Amino acid sequence: MPVLDFGRSAPLTFGVELELMLVNTRDYNLAPDADDLLRRAADDDHKGELKPEITQSMVEINSSVNERYEPLLAELRAMRDSLATHARQMNVAIAGGGTHPFQKWSERKIYPTERFQSVSEKYGFLAKQFTVFGQHVHIGCANADDAIYLNHALIRYVPHFVALAASSPFYQGVDTAFDSSRLSVVNAFPLSGTMPFVRDWAEFNRYFDTMYDLGIVKSMKDFYWDIRPKPEYGTVEIRVCDTPLTVERAAQIAAYAQALASKLLTDRVDWITPDLYLVHSYNRFQGSRHGLDGTLVDPKTRKSVLIADDIRSTLRELSGHAASLGSTAALEALLAVTMGEGNDAAWLRRAYAEAKTLPDVVRQQALRWMA
Amino acid sequence: MSADFLPPWPPGSNSFALFGLLLLAGLIGGRIASTTRVLPAITGYIATGFVLGPGVLGWLTEDALADARIFADISLGLVVFELGRRLDLEWARHDRWLLPTGLAESLLSFAAMFALLTFFEIPALEAAVAATVAIATSPAVVLLVASELKAEGPVTRRALWHVALNNIIAMLGVAVLLPFIEARGGGGAWHPIARALWIVAGSFLLGYLAFFVSQLIARFLGKGDAAQFILMVAMIVLTVGAAQVGKMSVLLALLVFGVCARNLDSDRRLIDIRFGHAARLFFVVLFVLTGATLRPEQFGTVAWLGLALVLVRLLGKAIALYLFAVPARISSRQAATLSLALTPLAGLAIGFTQPIYEVAPEFGAHIASIVASGIAILSVLGPIATRYALIVSGEGEPDVRD
Repeated sequence: MPVLDFGRSAPLTFGVELELMLVNTRDYNLAPDADDLLRRAADDDHKGELKPEITQSMVEINSSVNERYEPLLAELRAMRDSLATHARQMNVAIAGGGTHPFQKWSERKIYPTERFQSVSEKYGFLAKQFTVFGQHVHIGCANADDAIYLNHALIRYVPHFVALAASSPFYQGVDTAFDSSRLSVVNAFPLSGTMPFVRDWAEFNRYFDTMYDLGIVKSMKDFYWDIRPKPEYGTVEIRVCDTPLTVERAAQIAAYAQALASKLLTDRVDWITPDLYLVHSYNRFQGSRHGLDGTLVDPKTRKSVLIADDIRSTLRELSGHAASLGSTAALEALLAVTMGEGNDAAWLRRAYAEAKTLPDVVRQQALRWMA
Repeated sequence: MSADFLPPWPPGSNSFALFGLLLLAGLIGGRIASTTRVLPAITGYIATGFVLGPGVLGWLTEDALADARIFADISLGLVVFELGRRLDLEWARHDRWLLPTGLAESLLSFAAMFALLTFFEIPALEAAVAATVAIATSPAVVLLVASELKAEGPVTRRALWHVALNNIIAMLGVAVLLPFIEARGGGGAWHPIARALWIVAGSFLLGYLAFFVSQLIARFLGKGDAAQFILMVAMIVLTVGAAQVGKMSVLLALLVFGVCARNLDSDRRLIDIRFGHAARLFFVVLFVLTGATLRPEQFGTVAWLGLALVLVRLLGKAIALYLFAVPARISSRQAATLSLALTPLAGLAIGFTQPIYEVAPEFGAHIASIVASGIAILSVLGPIATRYALIVSGEGEPDVRD
């Protein structure tokens, strides 16, 4: 039985994983060029990492571990620029966005590694439907018990992350009426959802051992939770965000998570109760369906608030933390998103209203990402 | 009692019945080929035409073939337009080795074939024209095999780019050589050059005009799939007709039309129409007819020259691709599969010789006979090579059957 050792990481360090789509420049459908891109990018000289993902039309970029927003942003920009150069030489484009607006999942090809092939066998058509693109944010924790605490506390803010990052209004060729349709795709997996209400790392280990004994999981990778501890890295991983349309937005969202973690770890809030999980699915649905216009139920005050308003008041509370973490600019940009600029889902809907065709929307979202 | 209400027996030729029969026969032949799991459906279409054609059974007579010519022209129009849309000039700007690689692939295969033909004592002009015509890879075969396998990826994309470029080079090359052919007949020097200019410049202009008009009409029609589908088919057929009437190159005009649609449509008025099943109809007929033009003797006595031609052509393309593989950042495996994918040289090559036939019929027939056995051999091997290349590259799925 594997023992879950919680790795060491400096508290409040952070990093970003972005799943990206590869599209052709002719009809802007997904292009199975991940292998070729990985081959060409193998000698690139930047800090981050480029990895394959479950289907041949996806790649994932991982930033290194950062302490501050500016270096993270610079790193993501450098990776984006070198990937964009490779892509142009391959006559493909790279785009952000949580879903490809019109690809047909059945046409996807599973990336030929043992792990992805076994996922494909295990999950059947769900594996190919999993051609959706998310941003994961890792936040370093001083110890495992802090990670469990932070994991619970951040659940309260899941609708914020969902709404701010939402960029998948279109799926399989239609407007889903959701801001983040991607999140519903994740729901289909049997081990999706949330971490159980465990009090500390010891209790988490007992839960994991039981699941392992039952033969349901082999490693932490098998849990597709909204937020999960990542013992190998010593982090908590937020997994509900769509991949934004720009690396700038991705870095801003990571900075928001970092500032929020800073506040939560400092304040040690008193509302970590099972009630968090009573409202979670409802709140999460509101964020993915209505984005910033959704309403969430605050488990502590038991009141409904507009998600945009709740983000704004949270941003105000975070200003001191942001100032000391050097991420004021990032949080100001997110404030503008809630003040009428709108999230990426709104941008995509505006692009469609103007362009009238989904391939043209993909073209514009690729131009936006590669700029 | 007279039975004059009954049709005459045997029934006369009828274009509709002919089109339907070609389709049915091709469809069945294609399915038989597909069940081998090695041969692409195209090989079945070609074999069907070959067996039914004047060469073997003779059920398809020369007259019937002439009747069916219009279907082949429309299919070629669709194919070449589609090919033009693959020539993304922006790509060549970002990948500075793309164009040099394409030029080298064309020129080296030309040089290899020219050297071979002159070695076998074929006069220089004939050798030059034959080698120029044979630079071109068959767009119809590569496009259809790629669509049959639902192939997509770096090799498929690059292969189609090379096909588009080597077709343009071959067409321009024939136009350049045309005045020399005509001058040999003893005409003045000015007239043949003017004719070549008319063909090239006229075709370019016609192609651009077709694009311009399509864009104007598309602005009025909007971006509906159905409307744009009909618009593009109409413009393609119209351009085929206009090029014929104007004595220009049908292929060059349509290719330019496609290239413009891909590269000049900055307002994105034209949507990327998939011709899909409709185009498949014409492709089946095109390949059955291609098969019907083959003769058993082309595989016989002169075939050794054809075989040698095929080999040095492949070698020329492969060497160029390998030489440029490192700077162009393509892997050696990609270079190999790419060379193989560019193998097909089908009946379309004969289409280039059309203007030659017009100015010097005997010379044209001579060229056709030189490349004929190469074409015959490659109409069998070409589609198989492309299919194999796209499967080995991992971009085509052999199990996809439609």
